Amino acid sequence: MSIEARKQALKYLFSQVAEPLGYRLTTNDWLLNFCLEQEAKNEEKLGIPYCPCQMLTRDREHDMKLVCPCIPFHRKHYDAMKRCWCGLFVHKDVVDESKLRQIPAKEV
Amino acid sequence: MLTNAAKVEDIAMGGLKSVEINSHEITLCNYEGKIYAVERRCGHMNAPLDMGTLNGKILICPMHFAQFDITTGERLSGPVPAAPIKGLPQNAVSHFAFLGKLMAHIKTHDLKTYKVVVEGSDIKVDV
Repeated sequence: MSIEARKQALKYLFSQVAEPLGYRLTTNDWLLNFCLEQEAKNEEKLGIPYCPCQMLTRDREHDMKLVCPCIPFHRKHYDAMKRCWCGLFVHKDVVDESKLRQIPAKEV
Repeated sequence: MLTNAAKVEDIAMGGLKSVEINSHEITLCNYEGKIYAVERRCGHMNAPLDMGTLNGKILICPMHFAQFDITTGERLSGPVPAAPIKGLPQNAVSHFAFLGKLMAHIKTHDLKTYKVVVEGSDIKVDV
């Protein structure tokens, strides 16, 4: 399997999930490629494309909430940030992504 | 050798159909109106891929959800780890654990692809 082919496949599959949730993929090409590559590597290693930016605990119930796109499981948090934790997905109504910042869940 | 496999109208857009030609089991895939042919059996555990799902050009196995690119036959992902089933008797749990350990050693292979020619309403596959 080539990582490049898997990245393209993940991009296609993720868009289908994120779109109805009101999110789109980031326009930052570097970030997009970096996140997708890490997820493809996670999938190669663990069998599932977990979020590359959040800690796995080996507790299945917890970890399944970190399978990308994890938007539905962190809706309130991500809607407040207008992006997902990694920045791979951005809310559709965002014009300037560079102004978005990570906000800890506790502060939301 | 090009062999008649099916009619174009047999496969709806996004659809799958299995055919057997000269002992070759083949899955025909209609991706945006273009027909692609790949081997029918999954590169993981031989499940019939025509009973899976075609999402764009990604063919998903119905058994363990391994994914393949129908245009190249390339494996895009291996099997998805199964969720634990609760409430099973201990002997069944042990049996599935044994199978899991056994199957952890097998690889998922790329699919063989076949050249497809559409002449009129006939789909011909080079086997």
